[in-house]
Formats: sequence, C-alpha cells, structure tokens
Amino acid sequence: MNKLKIFKNGVTTENPILVQQVGMCATLAITTSLMNGIGMGVAVIAVLTGSNIVISALRKFIPDEVRIPAFIIVIAAFTTIIDLLMHAYTFELYKALGVFIPLIVVNCIILARAEAFASKNSVVDSIIDGLGMGVGYLVAMILLSSVREILGNGTILGLRILPEAYEPMMMAIQPPGAFILLGLLIGIVNYLSRRKKA
Amino acid sequence: MELVSLFITSFIVNNIIFMQFLGTCPFLGVSKKIDTAAGMGIAVIFVITLASVITYIIHYAILVTLELEYLQTIVFILIIAALVQFVEMFLKKSAPGLYKALGIFLPLITTNCAVLGVAINNIIYEYTFVESLVYSVGISSGFLLAIVLFAGVRDKVDYADLPESLKGSAVSLITAGLMSVAFLGFSGLQL
Amino acid sequence: MKNNFVRLAGVLLIIGAVSAGVLAWLNDTTKDLIAQNEAKASMDPAVLEAVMPGSVLFKEEDAEFVETMKADNKQFINLLTAVDASGNVLGKVVRTLSTVKGFNGDIELYVGFSPDGKITGTSVLSHSETEGLGSRVTTPQFREQFVGKDASSEISESDFDAISGATYSSKSFLSAINNAITVYAEYVK
Repeated sequence: MNKLKIFKNGVTTENPILVQQVGMCATLAITTSLMNGIGMGVAVIAVLTGSNIVISALRKFIPDEVRIPAFIIVIAAFTTIIDLLMHAYTFELYKALGVFIPLIVVNCIILARAEAFASKNSVVDSIIDGLGMGVGYLVAMILLSSVREILGNGTILGLRILPEAYEPMMMAIQPPGAFILLGLLIGIVNYLSRRKKA
Repeated sequence: MELVSLFITSFIVNNIIFMQFLGTCPFLGVSKKIDTAAGMGIAVIFVITLASVITYIIHYAILVTLELEYLQTIVFILIIAALVQFVEMFLKKSAPGLYKALGIFLPLITTNCAVLGVAINNIIYEYTFVESLVYSVGISSGFLLAIVLFAGVRDKVDYADLPESLKGSAVSLITAGLMSVAFLGFSGLQL
Repeated sequence: MKNNFVRLAGVLLIIGAVSAGVLAWLNDTTKDLIAQNEAKASMDPAVLEAVMPGSVLFKEEDAEFVETMKADNKQFINLLTAVDASGNVLGKVVRTLSTVKGFNGDIELYVGFSPDGKITGTSVLSHSETEGLGSRVTTPQFREQFVGKDASSEISESDFDAISGATYSSKSFLSAINNAITVYAEYVK
C-alpha cells in the first residue's frame, strides 16, 4: 500500500508541474504538439528514474558535503545517455526537442527528488517515486500539449480532428498561449483540489 | 552593426523569458519584490556572462580538441555549479542583505535553464567569442528586464480580487502570458 | 581535515570517472548510427526529388573551391552537383543557412539550380521554428512558389508570399534562398 501511495503522490498530490510548479521551462516550450510533449515526458521519466536508482544505491557512499555536485554528475550523465540514445534511435524527435534534451539536467524536478527522496530512501522506493513524478510530469505535458495542438493547429498527433474550416488559434502555439494555458490549467487543478478537500 | 542587432534581438525580440521560456522558475519565484528581483537579475547577468566565457573556452580548447563533445552536458553544468558557489561566497561577504533576500534562489541559479541554455546555444549557433559575449549579455539583460517588469506588475496583481483557485502561480502565469503578447509585438524587429 | 578533503574529492572523482566511462562507451556505440542519421537527413530520396526532380545523387565538388566559397560567404555550407540515374548532370545544388534568423534560429536549405540558372526546387534540412506555424515553411505549398525563379537576381520581399502568422520564419527562408542565389550567381554561372 505504501508503494502505491508513493507513486500516486507524484502523479496527483505532488504533481511536479501542476502542484509543485517546478521544471516549467520545457513544459512551456515543448508542448506545441502532443508528440513532442509525450517524447519529452518519456525522456524525463527515463532520466529521473535512472538517476533516482543510482543516487539511492550510492546514498550511503556519498558524503553529505559533496552530495549536490555528486547528484549533478549522475543526473548529467543520465541526461547525456538519453541524448545520445535519442540522437541515434529517435532522430526526428531529437531534432524537434533540440536544446531541451540537454536542459533536462537543470530540470528542477530531478535534483529536487534526488535531494528530497532518493538520497534518503531505498532503491525500490526511489524507483517508484521516480516513476510517479515522471508520470505526473508526462500527464501534465499531455494535457497542455493536447490543448495547444488542438487549438493551435486543429490536429492531434498530426491527425486532423477539427474541420479544415477551423481557423487555428495562433496564440495557442505561440509563447503567450503557453503561459496563459498553463496558468489556466493550474487554476483548474487548484479548483478541483479545493473542492475535493471541502 | 551586426553586434548591436544581435544584442537587441537577444534582449527583447527573442526575450529569454517571454519568448524562449528559459529561466521561468526563478522568474516566478523571485519576482515578488522589485529590489529582490533586480538583485536576482543582476546576479544572473553576472553568472550567465561568466559562464558563457568559461564554457566557450573549455568547449573549444578541450572538448573539441579531444573529441569529447559528448561530455558537454556534464562539464558545462559542473562549471556553472562551481561558478554559482563562488558568486554565493562573494555575495555573502560583500552584499549580505541581498544574499539573505535571495535565499534559496541563489544556489538555484545553477538549475536556471537560461544559464545552461545560453552556454549550449553559443555552441549550437556557432558564435565567435565576441558574438557569444554579446549574446550572453543581451539575453541576461533581457532576463533582468523581464523579471523587474514582472515584479512591478505582480505588486498590483497581489491586491486584486481574484477567485481563490486563480491566486498564486495561476494568475502569475496568465499575467506573464499577457506580457508575452506585448513582447510578441517585437517580432520582425530588425536592424 | 586534509584527509576529509581527499575523501570528498575522491568520491566525486570516482563518480565522475565512472560516468565519463559509461558515456564514452555509449558514445562509441552510437557514433555510427548518429552519423548515419545526420547524413540520411540530407540524402533522403524524397529530399533529392524535391530539390532536383529526377536526381539520385548529389556529388561533392572540388574541396578547395568549396573552401574559398565558404571563406567568402559565412552562411554557405556546400555546393553539390545533382546527377540522375544515368549519370547525367542535372544541375547544381547549394546548401546554405539563412542570413536572417527565423523565429527560433537559422533555417538550413538545399536549393537546386538548373543549368540555365532557374530554381528547380528546395528542401529544408533543419529548422527550429514553431511546430504548426513557422514549420509550415517546409510544406510543398509554401516552397513551390520559388520553383522556376531566375537566379539572376535576388527575390524581393514584395515578390513572395509569406505564411500568415509566420513572417519571421518566412523571411528567414527567403534569406536562405537569396543567399543561395548570391552564391550561385557569383561562383557558378
């Protein structure tokens, strides 16, 4: 039961983007199409889970004073691993995500989980936390990028779902739309969570 | 002059916050008061410019020569982390008030997407040393501009009568979006 | 005190060394595949067809000549000769970056020229424009307006149709074509 709670935590109660509101740079920039949003979400799950595993496994070995640089090295290593793998095996997605792949290393979520969870818990629990937070991130990405792609392009995953006559809302795909839509999304999540408490 | 054009473009046309989304965490976190925001902005200019210079040199002198480009992410982020440590120690001694006001957000400059983003972009865009310098100063000045403007607006927004759900980050993001519309107007500006 | 420092540095060094080792291995393993991807992006048959209909290969020119061109024009990348299946020369292809940045960065193009100096086609090799907006410069609908244009002079902005809402990207594309025209007119004709 405890394991399930850790996972759920990352997806809902402490959702990194919608509740904790960290790591938003990529969220705003990448979500112009659902495919990109999913791609980035999966990449983050991979880096987050990977670094959680290693940091948790090494937690007794890393002295407290150098833990931040140590975490950074591990996270950067995993980011580079994902970068190389994507460059080789998912070239189109790699080009689409561009500079935001190496920027995963500065995604606050990963360092935050390393510090707050992985360095203090078992490997198994850290895997679940990584997956939970990662899936939470992926869910937020899917929500935002679906809305932006539908409103701004009339398509979803490249498939046209709104009629040709629909004049796309340019704003949704451009920067202002990203800010506004994410703000509205967080507002909706706030509303739903307050209603649940009441 | 090409360099002037590059500065203007990185300063407002491609503003790092409103157009490129890099650096939004501290942007939303530190912009509650104008003087803290200004302090953060100046610290960021300092870090980004220095980081760009150092990473640029290390990349071309060492990584490329030894064909170790794949270590770029690790090397760059470690340089940035070390740099921020130094800035922290420096501020603690010479500007303790600012040091306290920035609090947790000072070490968080390390994870500021803008710093690493600018360092990497210098390489991707294949800038010369001077161009990368101008680009870095332009981008980070744009960050200062954005964060101070936003702090000014947020002051007023905090007093507004809003539905409970929208208070906090939600309205901040929407406000940022509206400011982004203003900056969108600069598109196409070319010297 | 000193002992502690050695311990701290040692831990970091070990972690760093292991990471570097793993990455070196991975880099080696994926190196060829990555190089292939980058090459394929420019040698894709669809790309060849879009730039110079009927071509099956773009051949390299004399390296020294290309170097002098590159020294003269910063955005110019490469000059190639397009040949068809029988080995006949169909024309020249210029690979260039844009001289004016798009919304998010440079646009990289192939521009094909027939022997009598007319544009035969274009293909976008890389761009970072907004998906669904600036990325529309890659669509045939946008690019076909340039086919048949003469390379004797640059295409003026009044002479072309930008994508509405993506002026920045369109102008960047135009600057790339014009750079190709400039290079072609100066070095090939």
